[in-house]
Amino acid sequence: MIDALAGKVLAGGRLNADEALLLYREAPLHLLGQLAHTVRQRRHPEPIVTYIIDRNVNYTNVCVAKCNFCAFYREVGAADGYVLGFEEIFRKIDETLAVGGEQLLLQGGHNPDLPLAWYEDLFRAVKARYPSFKLHALSPPEVLHISRLSKLPVPVVIERLIAAGLDSIPGGGAEILVDRVREHLHCHTKATADEWIGVMRDAHLAGLRTTATMMYGTVDTLEDRITHMMRLRDLQDETGGFTAFITWSFQPEHTERGGMEATGVEYLRTLAVARLVLDNFDNLQASWVTQGGKVGQLSLAFGANDMGSVMIEENVVRAAGASYCMDELEIVLNVEGAGFVPKRRNMHYEVLGDPIVRERDVPRMLTLATARAEGDDSRPEELSQYEARSRQEKERRAASRPS
Amino acid sequence: MAAQWETWTARVAAGGTLTNEELQLAAASPEILALGMLADTARRAQRGRVVTYLRVASVDPDQGIDAAAVAAAGEVRVTGAYPGREAAEAQLARVRREAVGRMVTAWSLADIEAAGEGALPGVLARLRAAGLDGVAEVPVDRLKSPGAAVAALVEAGFLAIRVTVEKAGGESRLPLLEALQAAAAAGPVTAVHPLPLVLNPFRPTTGYEDVRTIALARLAMPASVAVQVDWPRYGPKLAQVALTFGADDIYGVPAVDAAPDGPRRGLLLEVRRNIEAAGFEAVERDGSFARSASQAV
Ligand code: SF4
Repeated sequence: MIDALAGKVLAGGRLNADEALLLYREAPLHLLGQLAHTVRQRRHPEPIVTYIIDRNVNYTNVCVAKCNFCAFYREVGAADGYVLGFEEIFRKIDETLAVGGEQLLLQGGHNPDLPLAWYEDLFRAVKARYPSFKLHALSPPEVLHISRLSKLPVPVVIERLIAAGLDSIPGGGAEILVDRVREHLHCHTKATADEWIGVMRDAHLAGLRTTATMMYGTVDTLEDRITHMMRLRDLQDETGGFTAFITWSFQPEHTERGGMEATGVEYLRTLAVARLVLDNFDNLQASWVTQGGKVGQLSLAFGANDMGSVMIEENVVRAAGASYCMDELEIVLNVEGAGFVPKRRNMHYEVLGDPIVRERDVPRMLTLATARAEGDDSRPEELSQYEARSRQEKERRAASRPS
Repeated sequence: MAAQWETWTARVAAGGTLTNEELQLAAASPEILALGMLADTARRAQRGRVVTYLRVASVDPDQGIDAAAVAAAGEVRVTGAYPGREAAEAQLARVRREAVGRMVTAWSLADIEAAGEGALPGVLARLRAAGLDGVAEVPVDRLKSPGAAVAALVEAGFLAIRVTVEKAGGESRLPLLEALQAAAAAGPVTAVHPLPLVLNPFRPTTGYEDVRTIALARLAMPASVAVQVDWPRYGPKLAQVALTFGADDIYGVPAVDAAPDGPRRGLLLEVRRNIEAAGFEAVERDGSFARSASQAV
């Protein structure tokens, strides 16, 4: 049966859910890799592996969603809760531009004290200062959160964010698109599976390109993961709006959920199966930030054609215990070491050129930056211009008002 | 090349081996998954589907010895550089008192050789008499003659010989494979650790390099030799993937897990889970490669 399914894949056939599950369960690891590599070569005959230089900025860690797999969030009113100021974000953009980056991946917690106007003002301010700089921002659950806060429908929120400067939407917050799993993870209230898909559909219809993700390795079964991939494949058939798929394993350290991380072999199997199922996705990223550089590089033999982002900064995965770092040079060496040609890209996966490190001297970066320096508990001045929604923030403002 | 891989795979599945010319061809091929499949086939034919793992207690005799770690370990390993024969004998006496019934290993044979304390078999025989059961590292890339070094270990009466590599070589793995083969031909080598034990943070080896080296070592070694991967140095993810490229022994699992939040029993579970999730059977062993009857975790 495995041989017949391998033959079907090699002949360009589309796998149904049962067939995908059988391969996922039973195909030998190397065979899965070879099939995934063949499919990837069909889609990308040139031996190119792309990556992007961007910065992963988390504008706030205050979040009311409280997903039990998340080690990053802080409750409203927590002493170490933060919101980045516009000036801090501009500084991060300057640093990103200096190393050849051209985009922020901007995501954060569901902070009740940041209304739609805050996002619009931030995006407008970024675009006014840096007209060609790109904002890959706000995953579907954040868009939903803003929609609920502002009492505006999702398409209207998306339209307003686009008008302010939003360029594309990252596929975060998908976890596993099965509501039973989402309830266990305490993330169904931030977005059900249908709601996540719905925001992505609205974004695609509004002309935005987005990525799609999958975080596995909690209470999900192999069937759940295949269901997740099928939902993405269906939406991609409908809209064609996804640029790429990125999967990673749950990082358990410091989370309420805890437990053990899924293994490296499981990651490679999952990646390879995704390449086979998602036959309408052009790009699959290697998640070196969760798997480390070595398995990250090996992902290129298991269906990935993109090394993701140089990142510069990372807060969420680090909070859950993973602390891998690869600067541009290391990404380039890993791509070349695997027999591919490294190329810089933008969010639309258009090739921008050769590595910056091959054009000029770039200082080595052996650790990723964090959102803020340790002990920095400053509050951005502009926050007080926006209406506070939480009791804690209202009380804090009242207490700091001159009597 | 596809037909070539099939021919080789059929041969190693039947217990055959590759010639050195064929090894050279396999080493030069970019087809990493075909190489992995070949090495995995060889490993299953030669060594079955068991993956052994060894808990090691690293001890510094000058700092006191953790009795709990020693009790949990299959091997007690003296840390630090070779201090010269007399100091080494004193360290061994201290460790032996605590490590009753445990295999005690220490030092690098290259350092013992470089100390120039006389003929190597004689020096090794005295260390063995003082309580040393095995030289922890026999780095083929640092020894004047790997074959002669293994012969000296045999002459001194060492039974479990573990051959290692200290630093990452260049692109070509053939000199390394030949050195490993020379060592294995000179005496009863029980295991090779073909990945470098000294890591360069500015130029770490890559995943491709590591699994390729593991696979080629499996194909180059006789069936009697285990191919190891060091758990703390290479981490669970690479160590696990290495198992699917021909490795069959996990070395150096800490006997006591000094996690930042305190010791945890989860480490052994993690090791076993990684082995099993790669499709193998996990079996604990001791330093002399005797398998443990108890597999309680
Ligand atoms: S994963 Fe996102 S939404 Fe969930 S608690 Fe963390 S920051 Fe909030």
